[in-house]
Amino acid sequence: MAQTTGTMAATPVNRGMNRRDFLKVSGAGLAGVALLGVAGCGGGGGGSEGGSGEFIFSFGPDTSGSLQEVVKRFNKENKGKYTAKYREMPADTGQYFDKVRTQFQAGGGDIDLIGGDVIWPAQFAANGWILDLSDKFTEEDRADFLPGPVESNTYEDKVYGVPWFTDAGMLYYRKDLLDKNGIKEAPKTWDELKDAAKQVTEAEGTKYGFVFQGSQYEGGVVNGLEYINSYGGQVLDENDASKVVIDSPESSEGLSIAASMIEEGVSPQAVTNFTETESQTTFLNGDAVFCRNWPYMYALAADPDESKIKQEQIGVAPLPAGSAESVSGLGGWNFYINAASDPETQDAAYEFVKFCTSPEIQKFRALNGSFLPTLKSLYEDKEILDAVPVIALAGDALANTQPRPVSPAYSDMSLKMAEQFNAAFKGDVSPDEAVKTLQGELQDIADQAS
Amino acid sequence: MTTAPREKKRGGWLKEEFGNPERRTAYYMVLPALLIIMIVAVYPVLNSIWLSLHAATITATGEFVGFENYVEMFGNDDFISGLKNTVIFTVVSVFFEFIIGLGIALAINRAFRGRGLVRAAVLVPWAFPTVISAAMWRLMFQDQIGVINYVANGIGLISEPILSDATLLLIGSILVDVWKTTPFMALLLLAGLQTIPGEVYEAARVDGANVLQRFFLITMPLLKSTILVAVLFRTMDSYRVFDLFWVMSNRQLESLSTFVYQGVRISQLQFAQGNAAAVFIFVTAFLLALFFIYGLGMQTSTED
Repeated sequence: MAQTTGTMAATPVNRGMNRRDFLKVSGAGLAGVALLGVAGCGGGGGGSEGGSGEFIFSFGPDTSGSLQEVVKRFNKENKGKYTAKYREMPADTGQYFDKVRTQFQAGGGDIDLIGGDVIWPAQFAANGWILDLSDKFTEEDRADFLPGPVESNTYEDKVYGVPWFTDAGMLYYRKDLLDKNGIKEAPKTWDELKDAAKQVTEAEGTKYGFVFQGSQYEGGVVNGLEYINSYGGQVLDENDASKVVIDSPESSEGLSIAASMIEEGVSPQAVTNFTETESQTTFLNGDAVFCRNWPYMYALAADPDESKIKQEQIGVAPLPAGSAESVSGLGGWNFYINAASDPETQDAAYEFVKFCTSPEIQKFRALNGSFLPTLKSLYEDKEILDAVPVIALAGDALANTQPRPVSPAYSDMSLKMAEQFNAAFKGDVSPDEAVKTLQGELQDIADQAS
Repeated sequence: MTTAPREKKRGGWLKEEFGNPERRTAYYMVLPALLIIMIVAVYPVLNSIWLSLHAATITATGEFVGFENYVEMFGNDDFISGLKNTVIFTVVSVFFEFIIGLGIALAINRAFRGRGLVRAAVLVPWAFPTVISAAMWRLMFQDQIGVINYVANGIGLISEPILSDATLLLIGSILVDVWKTTPFMALLLLAGLQTIPGEVYEAARVDGANVLQRFFLITMPLLKSTILVAVLFRTMDSYRVFDLFWVMSNRQLESLSTFVYQGVRISQLQFAQGNAAAVFIFVTAFLLALFFIYGLGMQTSTED
C-alpha cells in the first residue's frame, strides 16, 4: 500500500482517490470518536426560584412510604408558609452522589436540601457547596443526638449536617446453635468468635463459621476499618486530619485477624467477594453461625421467602472487640443544605430538617420503616423497643460507632483502602505490607487534597 | 499511484468541486450533519486533548503541564493493569470469536433443514444486554450457588473461588465475551460468505481443487474485506470493554475504560489522569483503525 495520509486537501491528485482518502480518514476518525469517553460536561442550573418558602428536597426512593407521608404532613402543617418538594434520586448511593456532585459543579443546581450519605459532608464542605450549620444546629441541639453521626457531619470543627437516621455494623449470631453447644452469650472478642465458630461448625455441620463483607468496594472498607479500629488502629490522626497514621502495629493486627478468619477456614475463601447480599443470603439460608451486617437484615428474617431461619433463632450483639474496644462502622443519612440557595429558601429547608429530626417524626419513621433514630432519647422509648426489637438490640452497637475518615478526598482514599483491604483478606499481601502501602498512598492523597 | 502535476489547473480541486452544481448541492446537504459532528464529536475530542495537557480538576482547567499527566498515568499501577487486562482481553477474545465465528458461519452457510431456526438461535446470546448477561454469569461463577464454580472445583480444575482471583476473573470475562459476541462475528461473516457466488466454487471443483484449496484460495481472499470489517468492529468494541468487567467482577477487574471512569467520576483527584487515559484510548483506537485501513487494506467504501 503506497498511499499516504495527509495529502487530501493539499494536492490535486486524482479526484476519486482523493475523496476516498477523505472518507477513509474520516471513517477512522469517527470510529475513534465513538471510543472517546467524553470527560467533561456541564449543565445549566443555579439557584431556586426562592421567596415563596418552596424548596426542593432530594433523597433516594423510600419503599416504606413513610417519607412521602412525612413530606405530606409537613406541607399540611406549614400551609402557606413552606412547601417541601420531594425529588427522588437513585437508590445507589454512588450514583446519587455523582448526580448531586455534577449539579454542584455546574453551579449549584436546584436542589436546596439534600438527604445524603454520612460519607459526603467533607467532600461537599471542602468545596464550599453545602452550608455551615454550626449556628443553626447548636451545641445544645447536638447534645441530644448520638455522637457518631454528629461527628460524621463535622469537618474542620464546623458542623455541616444534621443526622437524620443511622446505621451500624452488628454481629448476628445463631442463638439456637450457640445455646445447644453451651455457649451462653455472644462472643466478646474476635478470638472468642473464632473459637465459638469452630466449635459450632464442627458439632452442627454448619457450612461456615463467620461471614462478612470482604469484597473490594465501600462495604469492604467499612469492614476493614472495623477490624482496624477494634485493635486501636486509626486512618487519620485525631488532632490533625491531614496526617495519615494507618501504618501502625494496631492496624496490621486488625487486618491479620480478618485474614486469619479465612486462613483458618472460619470464613469461606469466597467471603473476599461478598457484599451485603451474599452475606445475607448465606446467613439467612442457615449456612453460617455468625454474620456481620447492618440492622436491615433482622427484619428480613421474619419473611419465610427471604429466610430459612426464624427471628427467634437469631441473636444480635455489638461486633467483637480486638485488643481495644468494639467499634461499629457508621452508616446512615444526614441533611445538608445547598450553599448556593438563597437564605430564605435555606431557612425554609432548615424548618423541614427540624421537623424531620424531631422526636415525633423520628419515632414515626422508626415504627414505619425501621429507620434507626439519631436521638438518644428514643432508644429508651418503650413503644419503639417493643415494636422494633432490632433497635433495642442495636442500641449498644450504636454507642460505639466510628465514622469513616473525614476527608475531602474520601472517594480516592476509599478506592485505595478497598484495594488493599481486599488483598489482605485474600492473603495476596501481608497485613503489614497492606498498611505500609496504604500509609504512602493515603498520605499522597491527603497532601494533594489540602 | 501517480500524483498529477501540482499546477495542472488553477484553483485546484476546491474550485472544481464547488464549480460543479451537483457536487455543490451534495456539500450543502451534508453540511448540517458535518456541523453537528463538529459540535458533538470533534469539539469534545479536541477539548479533551487540550484538557489532558493541563493540571485539570473537575471544575477548573488548571495550569498547563505539558505531558505530565501522561507520564504520571504510565506510572500508575492501576492504569498499567487496566492496559494489560484490556490488551489481553481484546487479543484473546477477538481471536477466539473470529475462529469460532468463522466455523459457525461456514456451517450455517450450507443449506440444511431448520437453517433459519439455527441462525436465529445462535443470535440469542448476542441479543442479551451485556450487563444482564454479565450479572447472570457472575451468579454462575459465584461460589455459593454458581454451577461453574462447583463443577470446576469438583473436577479439580481450580482450587479457589473464581470471583476471588484476578486471573480467573479475566479468563472468565474472555469466556463470557466469546460466548456473547461470537454470534455477531458469525453473522457478519455469513453475510460475506453469501456474497461469494456459487459458480466460483463450481469452477474450482471442475478444475480439481480440493476442500482446503477452495477454502484458502477462494473463500478466504473473497471474504477478506468482510473479515477486516468484522475484526475491526470487534476489536474496537473489546478495546473499550467496560460493562462486562464492571458487572461481572463487581468492579474488581480493571480495564482502560474503568480507569477513565474512576478518574473522572469517582476520584476527586485523578480527573486529569482519567482524562489523559480517555485521550489515550481515543488515539490508540484511531491508530488501530488506520492500521486496519492502510496496513491491511480494508475497504471503507464501495466506490471504485
